[in-house]
Amino acid sequence: MRSRLMDDKKAAILQEIPRLRRYARALLRDRDSADDLVQDSLERALLRMDNWRTGESPRRWLFTIMHHLFIDQMRKVSRRGEAAILPLEASEALATPAIQAESVASREIVDALQQISPDRRAALVMVAIEGFSYAEAATMLGVPAGTLMSRIARGREELRGLLDDQARRRAIRIVEK
Amino acid sequence: MSARSFTDRDIHLALDGELPEDERAAYQIWLEANPDMKARSLRYAADNAALRNLFAGVLEEPVPARLVTAVNGEGPRRKQATPWWRMVAAASLLIAGGLGGYLAGMSGLGMGGDSDDRMAQLAIAAHQTFASDKNRPVEVDGSDQAYLTGWLSKRTGLTLVAPDLSKDGFTLLGGRLVPADGATAALMLYADADGNRISVYVVAEGTERSKGTFTLASGGPEAVYWQDEGYGCAIVGTLPPEQMGTVARNAYKQLIAGAART
Repeated sequence: MRSRLMDDKKAAILQEIPRLRRYARALLRDRDSADDLVQDSLERALLRMDNWRTGESPRRWLFTIMHHLFIDQMRKVSRRGEAAILPLEASEALATPAIQAESVASREIVDALQQISPDRRAALVMVAIEGFSYAEAATMLGVPAGTLMSRIARGREELRGLLDDQARRRAIRIVEK
Repeated sequence: MSARSFTDRDIHLALDGELPEDERAAYQIWLEANPDMKARSLRYAADNAALRNLFAGVLEEPVPARLVTAVNGEGPRRKQATPWWRMVAAASLLIAGGLGGYLAGMSGLGMGGDSDDRMAQLAIAAHQTFASDKNRPVEVDGSDQAYLTGWLSKRTGLTLVAPDLSKDGFTLLGGRLVPADGATAALMLYADADGNRISVYVVAEGTERSKGTFTLASGGPEAVYWQDEGYGCAIVGTLPPEQMGTVARNAYKQLIAGAART
């Protein structure tokens, strides 16, 4: 009985991997780092299978686990002054872009997203890309609804500002040519 | 219905489908009456759509085998080394040297660090011995690069180039051979105008792909290293982390390009 239940649970988790990968990619940009985060999340989830209430989709449970790992990772890095995971090797970074065939415009959006603080980035990505409701996102991120709302509002405004800056810089470069 | 007053917060609520049904009509009227707010709403909507489109393709990608394996629990697991070194690498490229102890502590936890740590230790040891030698840091000076790299290549069994780091302000002093646990490594030394010295350490050794940074528990210079099968290199120095990262990447790229030419 146990193994049957286990298989069902695993199948349900496997189904969530594409969504988890997308969330991680939006959070971290670098494809390998994002998949590392997904893998860490899956490994942790399997160790804590009992925490998942069966009968429910494992989606929110998995996203919650991943969010905790993401924030831990960001804290460790930011204690040392920077909130970014850098791909060290140029060729590797080129080989694994956040998205295939990045255009200038899409690269600018990805870059801008990375510059938003991790908390705001996570809130914005959960709602704007992953399509969670405010209530769901607030629960997964472990913050009150009001906090979530302001993170989204600020995150979105920050994104807009960053994109505008990039567009201005691009315009200046074109003029200088 | 009661005409409550709307604010820019409501733009987010509306966009995210969180505006109560019975407020939507009034919201639309408010939006039409406030061109600024309408423009902002359109802009946010456009950014939102761009974000969604940008990452939509990820759902179509085949799931990497290692993730399926993580759930099904068969097959080889990813090397433990990956996540922590990525962190350490990113971090130490960006912060000042005072964390040596912490970083070394991390690698001392027994997570993956084996041959790559050993290589980094040897590279640091070589750097400490020779880079600090004011008068005779190298065996062969850098004036005849072809001779220097030919000699180092022959002895290490690698195709070596001396990376040109002048863009980063470093000129080649020269090189020497150093013992490396039974193998022979090449050590190339560079100096900048302020007298800072960095080493490029290369050895034909390595059993796994890894990269990261390493500092001894006692502090001192930092090694940024890469390792692949049959090839290892470490750039060692005491520079501000960001500069260290830039120089290391520059050197590494040239070494790889040089090795690929043959």
